[in-house]
Amino acid sequence: MRLSLRPGEVIDRSRPLRFTWNGHDYPAFLGDTISSALAASGERVMSRSFKYSRPRGVLTADSLDPGCIVQVGDEPNVRASHRRVEDGMIASPQNVWPSLRFDVKVANRAVSRFLSAGFYYKTFMKPQRLWPAYEAVLKRFASGGVISNRPAAGYFDKRYAHPDVVVAGGGPAGMSAAVAAAEAGAQVMLVESEHELGGHLRWGGAHELSVLAELKAAVSATNSIEVLIDSVVAGRYDGNFLAILQRSLPGVTERLIKARAKTLIVAPGLIERPYVFAGNDLPGVMLSGAARRLINLWAVKPGTRAVVFTANSSGDAAAQDLEGAGVEVCCVEDARRGGDVVRASGSATLQSVECGDGRTYQCDLLVTATGWTAPTSLLNMAGDKPTYDERAARFFPCSLPEDVLATGGITGDGSLEQILEHAAHTGRLAAGRARVAGGRLRKGVPHAAPTDSPVAEEQSNAITALPVDAHVALFRGRTHGFVDFSEDVSSKELEAAVAEGYSSIELAKRYTTATMGSAQGKLEVVNAVAVVAAATESTITETGTTVWRPPYAPITLGALAGRTLEPVRYSPMQSWHEARGATPLVAGAWIRPDHYGNPTAEVRNVRSNVGLIDVTPLGKFDLRGPDAAKLLSQLYVNKWAKLAVGSVRYGVMCAEDGVVLDDGVTGRLSDDNYLMTATSSGADTLLEWAESWLQTEHPEWRVHITPVTSDFASINVAGPKSRTLLERLVENVDLSAEAFPYMRVRRGRVAGVEDCLMWRIGFTGELSFELHVPSSYGLHVWESLMEQGADLGIAPFGIEAQRILRLEKGHLIVGQDTDGLTRAYSAELDWAIKLDKEDFSGKPELSWQAERSDWPKLVGLRPEDVTVVPPEASQIVHDGAIAGRITSSRMSPTLGRPICLGLVAPHLAEPGTELSIVLPAGVRARAVVTEHLAHFDPEGQRLRG
Amino acid sequence: MARPAAVARSPIPAFGSTDVVAGWEVSQTSRTSQGATLELIDCMPLTKVLVRGAASGAVADLLKTPFGRASRTLSGVLTTACRPEEWTLYAVPGSAPRLIDKVTKRVPAGELVTLLDITHGRTLVRLTGSRGPDVLCKLCGIDLSDAVTPTGAALRTSVARLTVELVRDDRNGVCSYLMSCDRSYGDYFFGALLDAGTEFAIEPQGFVLPGI
Amino acid sequence: MILIPCPNCGPRNASEFRYVGESIARPDPNSATQEQWRAYLYERVNPSGWTTESWFHRAGCGRYFKIERDTNSNEVRAVRLEPAAATKGES
Repeated sequence: MRLSLRPGEVIDRSRPLRFTWNGHDYPAFLGDTISSALAASGERVMSRSFKYSRPRGVLTADSLDPGCIVQVGDEPNVRASHRRVEDGMIASPQNVWPSLRFDVKVANRAVSRFLSAGFYYKTFMKPQRLWPAYEAVLKRFASGGVISNRPAAGYFDKRYAHPDVVVAGGGPAGMSAAVAAAEAGAQVMLVESEHELGGHLRWGGAHELSVLAELKAAVSATNSIEVLIDSVVAGRYDGNFLAILQRSLPGVTERLIKARAKTLIVAPGLIERPYVFAGNDLPGVMLSGAARRLINLWAVKPGTRAVVFTANSSGDAAAQDLEGAGVEVCCVEDARRGGDVVRASGSATLQSVECGDGRTYQCDLLVTATGWTAPTSLLNMAGDKPTYDERAARFFPCSLPEDVLATGGITGDGSLEQILEHAAHTGRLAAGRARVAGGRLRKGVPHAAPTDSPVAEEQSNAITALPVDAHVALFRGRTHGFVDFSEDVSSKELEAAVAEGYSSIELAKRYTTATMGSAQGKLEVVNAVAVVAAATESTITETGTTVWRPPYAPITLGALAGRTLEPVRYSPMQSWHEARGATPLVAGAWIRPDHYGNPTAEVRNVRSNVGLIDVTPLGKFDLRGPDAAKLLSQLYVNKWAKLAVGSVRYGVMCAEDGVVLDDGVTGRLSDDNYLMTATSSGADTLLEWAESWLQTEHPEWRVHITPVTSDFASINVAGPKSRTLLERLVENVDLSAEAFPYMRVRRGRVAGVEDCLMWRIGFTGELSFELHVPSSYGLHVWESLMEQGADLGIAPFGIEAQRILRLEKGHLIVGQDTDGLTRAYSAELDWAIKLDKEDFSGKPELSWQAERSDWPKLVGLRPEDVTVVPPEASQIVHDGAIAGRITSSRMSPTLGRPICLGLVAPHLAEPGTELSIVLPAGVRARAVVTEHLAHFDPEGQRLRG
Repeated sequence: MARPAAVARSPIPAFGSTDVVAGWEVSQTSRTSQGATLELIDCMPLTKVLVRGAASGAVADLLKTPFGRASRTLSGVLTTACRPEEWTLYAVPGSAPRLIDKVTKRVPAGELVTLLDITHGRTLVRLTGSRGPDVLCKLCGIDLSDAVTPTGAALRTSVARLTVELVRDDRNGVCSYLMSCDRSYGDYFFGALLDAGTEFAIEPQGFVLPGI
Repeated sequence: MILIPCPNCGPRNASEFRYVGESIARPDPNSATQEQWRAYLYERVNPSGWTTESWFHRAGCGRYFKIERDTNSNEVRAVRLEPAAATKGES
């Protein structure tokens, strides 16, 4: 039932809304939460509980409300006591098997016998063959809403922020601290989890509302405070790196702010703690805060006849609010005078309450106010281990790092005015420390403005600590009841867990899953600790508390994922490849053409006419300086000193363990200028590798290495007609075999583009010219080649054709034909390794490898069955033992038979050796070791042409 | 046979119709609003010259731009020092040979200097508008406040998961960033910036001379 | 995300760097025994407490440098560039 106007109400009665709940139409006002609107319509059951399917209603009327987790449209696990109603919203209960209204007492009793502590571990273990049946039952019990299969709608944003001070909690203390910090010159982020600032002032009386109005005015008058509502500081990490989840933004579903805060003020207030007794989860049993919020924020009458069990001023105020709202308060049971409640009873909802003295009241509402839990989560994440104060019956912060401060109810009690003053002091202190921290962060930043002179910090001991009041220690009463409402864990189960030996709170927690539900311990942890303490006959201090970890509040996967930021690299010819329907190949960040429809035809065309392949991703480096050859000599196993200007050489690079790291061709362009190339995938690593030699081992060398991969569009023109084609487009370079022989480099004009490099190399085994063209002209040169080569039968070829061509020629691919254990001698690179050099990377390991003969060797393999291509990575077996593996394997279009490379044991590497290859399904295929790695043109006549 | 004249193209795909300016294919954008409040300009045609040399030497003396700073001490040239002992010079299209020549002449024999025309190897964009920092903070972890990153600041950092040279180079008092990354990422980078700027009504713009 | 104090660029997010590892000297490749060389390749102390380690500022200045870091608290107390990376004449 809706009450008449309340002074602090947040509903807009001029904006009525309609929404659907459980298939029925309900009214609401703008500002209503789903549960407040349902409560206003007299609905009391919001869900069925997780394990026992018990009816549950409003307990806290805030984001922690464990019985108010619902489905909204496609979105599961929506917190109905936090989410505001939107017009036309479709909400439905979760966990309702068989149905929300159906009285499941029978089912309840039937299952409760075996849903005891650790029931997951005990009940569904054996026999294993019944697991599918168990799974089906468990899924029904544990239904947590329905996930949509469609991609998440909406914009999930992320951003970085660098505030001076972040205030976690927008209640009176947080607001006061934010204003004080801002007035002291700090840029402040004030983060409040509810939809409005104010905390408990919002549901307070006239005095609280007037203080709230003043605080709000002060916050909005200060433009250096950024207010984030419906937002939460979800985690605090080293260096005060904060994860802040922000909602209720226009056009943005959720935003994750990664804030590097100079100081953090933790002011979350206190969380009201439920009382553990029989029937404490019945709809109609709620906390004093919930009753006050329903009445004062949403003008909802929470019941008609109430018992109030109070141990503090919040309970007293709730009793007053209830009377003011026309609820008949039939009993105020005061814990400070020995009062107690023993049992709440009712079918589906509350019908009667039994008090400590045995009197029983017929009522539909029981309000409890038994004490507070300090949400010290963010302090834990900052390394604090809060300590328990018996007199106050709650935990307090103990030791905080300099960049984290706490204020408000989490630090003590006291009057509202005392709290505001404490918070203001804390805010000023935080601003002072932020200034010092900011100076530290700017120190060493070459472009930052000069650091302010350090400001004398306000002494922290100048802050008068808040007084701490005595509280009645009320956790569990005389009967057993629920400790964890979201995981359905009762005090009886915790006692059973202790009896079974799980006497540590951390073990009991995991065994029973208490504190592991949606509220993540914020409602239930102290009760769980108290029950375990009582069961182990120890104190709460001795029992300790569980460790709080991020996130502080539930966080969606969408918010964590954020926007898609997957860097992609394209060559300048990408648009051409796409227009020709090239099948893309993802190679690291590069997108490359795998083929243009028929790789076999592409191979044949290269062997018979001329083909073009885009090899732009090839790593390229400009080396400059008198010691460039020294760097090359250090990186490669080869020698470089005698490489003539205008020549290129193939080099092999090993890591310090002698394992092949990279390979490529390097050309000498002038006396002290080289162009070095590396594999596409190894280019980034190679630069760091080279720099590490220059910066750490040989700082005296005078050489620069500069990456120029993307400066050039690289095009390999391959095939017997490649020279004919290039002669039509290249100016000022003599392309004849005599003037421009194999393994030489020239510079000239191609298709009107100056400063193109050309080198004659032959990865494909054909006459070929590799062009390196200034990138912005890449598409122009490529299109010119295609046009000029039309009558020569020119066709583009992709990576797949290139892999076949090089395999025919027996050229290895690092990482394909070698792995993380393949030292250079194993890769048939003996000819390149110069152990007489003074030093090179991996030299000791290679010299030791050279002294032995027990390493595997790379060989060419010719399968006997010409119709079967052994899959790559097939095992090679000999005498019943694994003797190697196939590293590369293809059907050769040129030879019309399968061709392979393989790494085999040394005694099997002799040409002519017969080997057995294990094919899928265990079939064996025979293959013979060939004389050369090359299956085609081993003498290299074609590429030298 | 008549061949098409060599046209230089940006890695950022054209938006709208195109025209050729200074030998470059550039997008023709009509500025929709009276001076868009947040613009992302494809500055690819600008000349970019990389200079590497000792922090104290003839090159450093000529360029007069310490590490972490950008300046216009050479006429018509924006000199940026995003890394120690390294500068990138930005100037009007086609001026690379002249710039390289100018620096080369000042280098005494024996001083190790690398001078490279990297015009084609880098993607260059300019983000101008007061909401520029709000766009960048969605992609970059650097503190962009005036105290830490004032105009004239030059740094190398991660933007949209790429290594980017970021130069704060305000224009007529309006916040502006010149950013360059490896050319091959250009399409992705431009798209990431446009996506981040959508909520602030960002507008892509083609290159207009002189552009620096 | 911890901050790594780059001696050139100032404090930056750790994601801008490559963690190279515990600093270890390279033995003379021409006289090192197999034991010495393989200790250089594979053996690390991995202490709980202070350690000297190398980092590479991949997304920043591109320099290798060493820091002393407490592996328990992530506190950093000394930072120095590798010899060649020190910039000369900068203020």
